[in-house]
Amino acid sequence: MSQVAFSSWGRQVTDNRQGGDAEVEVAKKKLPVTFDGAKQISAFMGWDGLILFDSNVDVVAMAAEYAKRVQEDYCCAKCSPGKKGTRVMQDTLARIVAGDGEEADLDTIENVGELLQNCKCTLCQTSAIPILDTVKHFRNEYLAYINGNSGQKKAVDYKVKMTAPCQDKCPSHIDIPAYIEAIKNRRYDESLSVIRESMPLPAVCGRVCPHPCETACRRANVDEPINIMVLKRTASDYEWKHNHQPPMQPKAKQKETIGIVGAGPAGLAAAYYLALEGYHCTIYEALPEGFGGGMIAVGIPAYRMPRHLLQRDIDIICEMGVDIVYDTKVGVDISLMELKQKHDAVLLAPGAHKSKPMGVEGEDKGYKGFLAGGIEFLRDAYMGRPTGMGKKVCVVGGGNTAIDCVRVALREGAEESVLLYRRTRKEMPADVWEIDGADEEGVKFEFLVLPKKIIVDENEQVTGVECVRMELGEPDDSGRRRPQPVAGSEFIVECDTLIPAIGQDPELSFITEETGIQITRWNTVVTKYVDLQNAAGRGLNDVMGNPLSRTLITDMDGVFASGDAEIGPLTVVACVGNAHRAAKVIQRYLVEGQAYLTDEDFHEDILSHLGVYDKNEQVSWLDAIGRFNQKEVHGKERASKGNYNEVELGFSDSDAVIEAERCLRCYRVSMIAV
Amino acid sequence: MVNLTIDGKSVSVPKGTTILEAARQLDIHIPTLCWLEKVSTTGACRICAVEIAGVDRPMTACNTPVKEGIEVTTQSEKLTRTRRQIMELILVNHPLDCPVCDAGGECDLKNTCYDLDVVRQEFRAQDVNPETIDHWPLIQQVPSRCILCEKCVKVCHELVGADALFVNDKGDKAFIDKDVAKCTFCGNCVSACPTGTMISKPFKFKARPWALRKVPAVCTYCPSQCQVDVNVQDNQVYRVTSNDAGTTNNGNLCIGGFFGYGYANSDKRLRAPQVGKDTATWDAALTRVVSDIERIKEESGAAAIAGLASPRLSNEENYLFQKLFRAAIGSNNIDSEARFGAVRALQALNALGLKGASNSLDIIAQADAILVFGADPTAEATAVDWKIQDAVRRGDGKLVLANMRQVHLTPFANCSLNYKPGSEVALANGLARLLVNRELIDEVELQRSVANLDQLKDALAAVNLDQVVAETGLELAALEQAADIIGKAGKVAVIFGGDVIKSAQGVEKSAAIANLAIMSGALGADGGIFPLDEKGNTQGVLDMGVCPESLPGHQAYAAAKVKFEDAWKCYLPDGGLNADEILTGIESGSIRFLYLAATNPQAFPNSSRWMKALDKVEVLVVQDIFPTEITSKATVVLPGSSAFEKSGSFTALDGTVRTFNQAIRPVGESREDWTIFAELYGRLTKAQMSFSRASILEEVKKVTDLYAGATALGDERRTSVKAAYAAADGSLSFQPVAAAAAADGLQLLTGTSASHFGTTSTWAPAPLEVEPEGLIQINSADAEAAGITDGGQLKLTSASGSVTGKAKVTDKVPQGLLFAPTNFVALGIQQLVADGDNQAAVQIAKA
Repeated sequence: MSQVAFSSWGRQVTDNRQGGDAEVEVAKKKLPVTFDGAKQISAFMGWDGLILFDSNVDVVAMAAEYAKRVQEDYCCAKCSPGKKGTRVMQDTLARIVAGDGEEADLDTIENVGELLQNCKCTLCQTSAIPILDTVKHFRNEYLAYINGNSGQKKAVDYKVKMTAPCQDKCPSHIDIPAYIEAIKNRRYDESLSVIRESMPLPAVCGRVCPHPCETACRRANVDEPINIMVLKRTASDYEWKHNHQPPMQPKAKQKETIGIVGAGPAGLAAAYYLALEGYHCTIYEALPEGFGGGMIAVGIPAYRMPRHLLQRDIDIICEMGVDIVYDTKVGVDISLMELKQKHDAVLLAPGAHKSKPMGVEGEDKGYKGFLAGGIEFLRDAYMGRPTGMGKKVCVVGGGNTAIDCVRVALREGAEESVLLYRRTRKEMPADVWEIDGADEEGVKFEFLVLPKKIIVDENEQVTGVECVRMELGEPDDSGRRRPQPVAGSEFIVECDTLIPAIGQDPELSFITEETGIQITRWNTVVTKYVDLQNAAGRGLNDVMGNPLSRTLITDMDGVFASGDAEIGPLTVVACVGNAHRAAKVIQRYLVEGQAYLTDEDFHEDILSHLGVYDKNEQVSWLDAIGRFNQKEVHGKERASKGNYNEVELGFSDSDAVIEAERCLRCYRVSMIAV
Repeated sequence: MVNLTIDGKSVSVPKGTTILEAARQLDIHIPTLCWLEKVSTTGACRICAVEIAGVDRPMTACNTPVKEGIEVTTQSEKLTRTRRQIMELILVNHPLDCPVCDAGGECDLKNTCYDLDVVRQEFRAQDVNPETIDHWPLIQQVPSRCILCEKCVKVCHELVGADALFVNDKGDKAFIDKDVAKCTFCGNCVSACPTGTMISKPFKFKARPWALRKVPAVCTYCPSQCQVDVNVQDNQVYRVTSNDAGTTNNGNLCIGGFFGYGYANSDKRLRAPQVGKDTATWDAALTRVVSDIERIKEESGAAAIAGLASPRLSNEENYLFQKLFRAAIGSNNIDSEARFGAVRALQALNALGLKGASNSLDIIAQADAILVFGADPTAEATAVDWKIQDAVRRGDGKLVLANMRQVHLTPFANCSLNYKPGSEVALANGLARLLVNRELIDEVELQRSVANLDQLKDALAAVNLDQVVAETGLELAALEQAADIIGKAGKVAVIFGGDVIKSAQGVEKSAAIANLAIMSGALGADGGIFPLDEKGNTQGVLDMGVCPESLPGHQAYAAAKVKFEDAWKCYLPDGGLNADEILTGIESGSIRFLYLAATNPQAFPNSSRWMKALDKVEVLVVQDIFPTEITSKATVVLPGSSAFEKSGSFTALDGTVRTFNQAIRPVGESREDWTIFAELYGRLTKAQMSFSRASILEEVKKVTDLYAGATALGDERRTSVKAAYAAADGSLSFQPVAAAAAADGLQLLTGTSASHFGTTSTWAPAPLEVEPEGLIQINSADAEAAGITDGGQLKLTSASGSVTGKAKVTDKVPQGLLFAPTNFVALGIQQLVADGDNQAAVQIAKA
């Protein structure tokens, strides 16, 4: 039998109330059976309809509650139909539930529902959708109330959350519509404050974020997505360009302290949010002073992320009462057990700074010109250390780090910079604009090649790499076509420097056995989670294959993990979102002695698994003004030796306002009855 | 251009135009409630929704840009129904107090209801409107009447830059709230409100809008000279309004323009002439003045007679005043308070061939870079502040703000140069040097326009940047950033004001800034240099030649004397004393007669010296509108009139001339000031003189070239805008200025407050409600060191005296600097500064 009594989700009506067992795909696969591992989800109401799991749920009362929450808690009041219409909606439904309704009220609901289509944004507008569904499909229940014979229904608890497709998709869950709206209103400081609620490294994520949010932008259903990332940069740059003091005021000092391993995005973000709550954080950073920022610093070259702005974000965090102890490698200069002794809680956020081996013949021989890896190369170049690079550089890999390497090689003075990748340009995991950037700077690409063997001269100096041609076969698990070697196609690419850049692993040797902390086979730290299963009995996972709802506490009491070392190597924005969650859980742990997730956390996870964006939705809007892209410096000179000047130039304020005006402000409210 | 059709009519408009704007070009009316042309669109009311073929949902015309080929429909059955129903929603729980509502008769909501034929109410909801907010000064907020169009919020944020208003709470309970500490009480929210939500308390329940007569006038509080309508009933000023359309200020006003009119209605006004302490008839008073003039002239010659006129007086009045003195009395001992500021700027600008600002204020709004130097435009000339915000907030211009204090514009500055007191010359020279060093000058243009470029370069080469850094207390990087902003910009505006020109070294400091302006390229047709003097008609005072060195039209006295003798058919005296010399003359006994026309020496620098001199002078004639300590010393008091009670013209800081009409009759027996001068002229010359306002201006045009090349705008204020300026070949001269040593020790700086205007507004109840007394601003570190707390009494002692006042502890002044307003004679801060200065070394103590 189907789990679902009724569903109008996605505008597809499935009605099993009179028997029948039609399945609802979303309900079965995308939603968990329980809200938090224990409480059953009995109904789900939102922007795209209603899913009723338990037919005993009072749908009328639920609609009334939904209307009330929309009006009283979320409606911004900034358009007339929204402000007034949802009030009329709320009061009309409340009258019916109170037994004072009349049948004409149902017409009023439908009338107001139609008027709400004229709203400024989709918050109040979409709130009408499930309500109208209930009037249409549960009319008898309404009439029962109106006629004074509504029966006893199941008591439920409502969990409500406002979201938006972009906000949901952003791993840090930044309130994107709010910060864009603020820019539209030329309130850059307000915009930045909204951003900082979920993103303490705005200068960074305004520049180097792969912006998954833009893949969930409803404006793309009209023309092109909003330039969400560069608008973030606009808000962030406004503050430093006008010498404004950041407005954050940490709460009164708490007595507990937190030790954090690594001053990367996760460590810094966790420190920021804990400092705001009044906790003193000490970050232990292996690199020397001036090189904080973790992978942002060592992995993202200065022409993408100007150092003074990264440092500004770090300095702001330090001014909030965070200490960074540099030149201190945990496991060497101080042990994890010592940290545990010193602090009330410890967060492990060491990142993933060890290049993966390439599996090519000769890579373990210590040849001159064969470098340890992409990330090591970028780090040395950034820190001004000898990189061991020659004149003709080959980089192996297809990700952003590989692209950074070929572009940095030019800036370090390479005469030729070549990228070797085993698939085609289309399959490269690197961001498209990064690949284009490398192209413009004169990087050469060799696609469909697999390095097999390092060629050296009599002095063990690399002189080339033997490669085999590849061709694309059947798609693999990732959906990309699997490359296969073409027999007998071996050839040699001449070079004096070979840099493997095919991925990074966390370096977790500092987590000793005595800690009891488990490590996964992908070399990430195991953290505890709440098992959310779908109706098919499968545990729900995040995009990296980790369990969806994790408390981020390790097997050792008081020790938490976050960032690349917990998730697996991903992005700054993912690390920040993860670390924000960790900071909240750590605070709960310190205050209540328990590391747990709140309703808000579960709701966030459930929505991100469900997906708030529908790329097939028909969005009616006049596509008068297309997406605006930031200007950048063009020409090969931008990658000349020693030129680490920023390539992308951001928006002027007035450009930003025009781009912000394109935003459709796609807020919507989700309500789960448990 | 983008082509589209609206209701079947074709129109072609520039890209980025909204559908609403395009429809207006076709005279197609689309109803709106929340749309306000001068701010960004809000899209709140939704009644401007239109249909576009191929787009399923209605689009709001106000904020939807046009697209090539679209077909727009503005009227349909569905649209009409939707608009009407949205209006019904807006009116759910809207109070039915239209008869007593202050917006009655000028309510956009009511008008729109009529337009859309909204006569029913289909919806009902619980009334959750918050209570009326009555605790804000000057403004009342009635949330139940609010339609949340956010016009007030946007005007406050986008135009005024105060950012005090905001939407508070959610859903139907949402209302407009205010962070009162940020409010500047400009009243623009009241003007923008389409309903009776934002109410002016001084106006509330006083009159019905339709019963008021609106007299086109000019606000004379500051040199911006905003165009206003004085709303009059029964010979009383009820309120001052300004229309967005057709005014150079776009309908924007400040606290002075909007709320500051109350002084005119004050019952403390002088209503009758006085001789000694006794009320007298005009004839008796004028007879006394004439006989004293004649007696003293006889005994000591006309050189024993002196007079000071005022930027409170119109151009015509200032012209007559100087003619009275020069032609009828035979004395060239005339001056005004411009001596302590504007004259210095003028002297420096002479080297550029300028008689004031080089171009019109609109240039500022278009600038790519603006340098504000030693000025607080918000307080000194508010419209300049708005233009700056236009450039740097609505445009993408950049602002360099060189000021000792933090001011209203500080948050909008890309580069703030908080220089040490007294280091202006070093800073200007340093920036000019950096423009050269960083190759940011237009060599070709400078070769063309500057007469002594080599001398300029030599002088700048001698500027030592290390010394500049030491003297200004600024970091080199900040100076370089400022130089880059100014040097890389195409269109540059340079604005300098009170801190510079009112300093004793005002000439040198202004000259250094003029040099910098030359180097920055500000003297082109699309740039400008703008000296600010906070008084209403200072430019008019100088244009009319109320100073001993110039005759009207800035003609050098000695050189043009013969020309004027011919024109006026009289002999003019040689020489002439300026204000400083008049003061010395009174003290030495050589000046026996002083005529103060609408000017109060209590606000002059070293005011106690002036007050002593006034005790000494044998005959003191005071023409003013309020009884003051000055009138109490007067031999004869002549009651003049406020700007509302006369007609005439004023010249704004950018040379724009605006005429204004009499809105109410002079109170009591008081007279328009120009008629007093005219009568005295007639009595003294014993000639039958007939002056009219028009004849005076005619005469000015005949004897000067002041309005040559000016364009009349053809509005009801007969605005005349002077010709655009760009430096002619070789017309600019560099003036070498060496930096003087910066001031040592704790310094007091005096200047105008942003909510008061001269001393006049201290007679107006509304500005007094906001700022009832002059506070001495002191940095928290200095306050702590002296044991002074916020609101506590503080004693300041300088070389010229002591003053006790209330402290305002604020970090808007840096450590080592105190600031106090000159507007309050009760505080008397001007006693502490030296002659002709705005600064003094002071000691502080808790009092």
